[in-house]
Amino acid sequence: MDPRVNLLKEFYAGLPKDRAKVETYEHGFVFLEKLLSGGVTLEYGELTLSGLLHKYKLGNIPLARMDELLHAHVEKRCNVCLYFDGAANNMFCFNLDNNHKTDNTVLIPEMEFAVRFIREQLTGLGCEPLIVASGRGYHAWGRLEAAVDNDRLYDFMLHVAVNTMAALHEGGRDYRQIKINVYPDRRIRGVVSLRLFGTDHAKNKVFSRVLTPDGLLDEAASWAAFERHLKHGVISREKFDEALALIGAPGGEPAPAKRPVADSES
Amino acid sequence: MAGPMRTIAIDLDDTLNNFEETLQTTAFRHDGAYGFSESVFDDYLARLRRHAAEDDDLLSTEYSFFKYQIHHRCYELATARADGVEFMRALKRDGWRIVICTYRDLRRANDCTRKWLNDHGIPFDHLFMAWNKIVFCRVWQIEHLVDDDSFNIIHGATHGVNVYYPAMERHRALQPNRARAFRSFGEIAPWIQG
Repeated sequence: MDPRVNLLKEFYAGLPKDRAKVETYEHGFVFLEKLLSGGVTLEYGELTLSGLLHKYKLGNIPLARMDELLHAHVEKRCNVCLYFDGAANNMFCFNLDNNHKTDNTVLIPEMEFAVRFIREQLTGLGCEPLIVASGRGYHAWGRLEAAVDNDRLYDFMLHVAVNTMAALHEGGRDYRQIKINVYPDRRIRGVVSLRLFGTDHAKNKVFSRVLTPDGLLDEAASWAAFERHLKHGVISREKFDEALALIGAPGGEPAPAKRPVADSES
Repeated sequence: MAGPMRTIAIDLDDTLNNFEETLQTTAFRHDGAYGFSESVFDDYLARLRRHAAEDDDLLSTEYSFFKYQIHHRCYELATARADGVEFMRALKRDGWRIVICTYRDLRRANDCTRKWLNDHGIPFDHLFMAWNKIVFCRVWQIEHLVDDDSFNIIHGATHGVNVYYPAMERHRALQPNRARAFRSFGEIAPWIQG
């Protein structure tokens, strides 16, 4: 098996593998029949506005089929996006998107500020993230040594996100120019999937390059950084508890008022 | 020997259901969970009901969130056209492959859409969202589309898609086209044979 597939399987080991969203230019009923063989189910399909790019939300995926999909993912024949578990996860992700209707793959100052601020907060809390270019912005992933209840993950991320928006505002910037969604989001389950590292963005064809404090890495260096983070970036249970306490978010708080959810993942 | 499976794409809102009537007549109330006042709620609702253009250049806004919430409620509350339900069942009996083709954001509306279809006993094979249904039908080689949208009515035939639409007042002003209007779904059956 391609070693990159093994890296992906290890990095995202905590996310459910029986469901996924697959992005591909392939379409038609013959293709769909092949995609749904072996008991795979189609929740829904989508023809996007990006050329003939299609998205398929699949369920009931056998493990062997997921391996095939991951293989296709690293070979850039499709993009695999995974969903979070509905109760607890050993991962969390900040999804930062440019919030403009047009030209939203452009890197705007608010985005640069926000991603830097999130990195500094997380690193300061001992939870160094892996930050990856996502197309319309960045995904900032955190990996934990064991699954944590979604409510606690959400509380933690919400505080980091609110601090970031507040810092943007205090810095005289318009925080509405970007969106920060946090996952797992306890208000919505099974709705949003996130594209895995290791492939090109479906729309702008840019590889999911790793962002370091010194800038974006190229594809090969990004894989190396991904592997390093896999080995050395795990957040211990104690460190997460400490970070949660430090940021002032006791677990089990009631859900805040509803906010807009993402219009599209990337 | 059976030939290739015949496929038809069917829209939901204002084709199989009464979405617009539901939007205009339902007494929506501020449920306290919105992060804005009742007067803003009323203003947004009036704006939504008159289909005012969205001039904001941002994707995700307070209004876009509100709009989706109200639309989602309409998806749940809308009633099915009885003749539409019967038409769908007849298609299934006759061996058609049925694709529900909608502008809905199925990422959020998948569950409620499936529930609505199941609750009304409406058979279907696949659920697809497509911003351009003519392109979708073309690339999936679907010959027939039942849909109320003016764009599809006008342009379907040019691109080899036969469009059938429920006749409504707003269709009176349409430019000449080759789509076929119907009063009852039963009228479609002979048009799609052959």
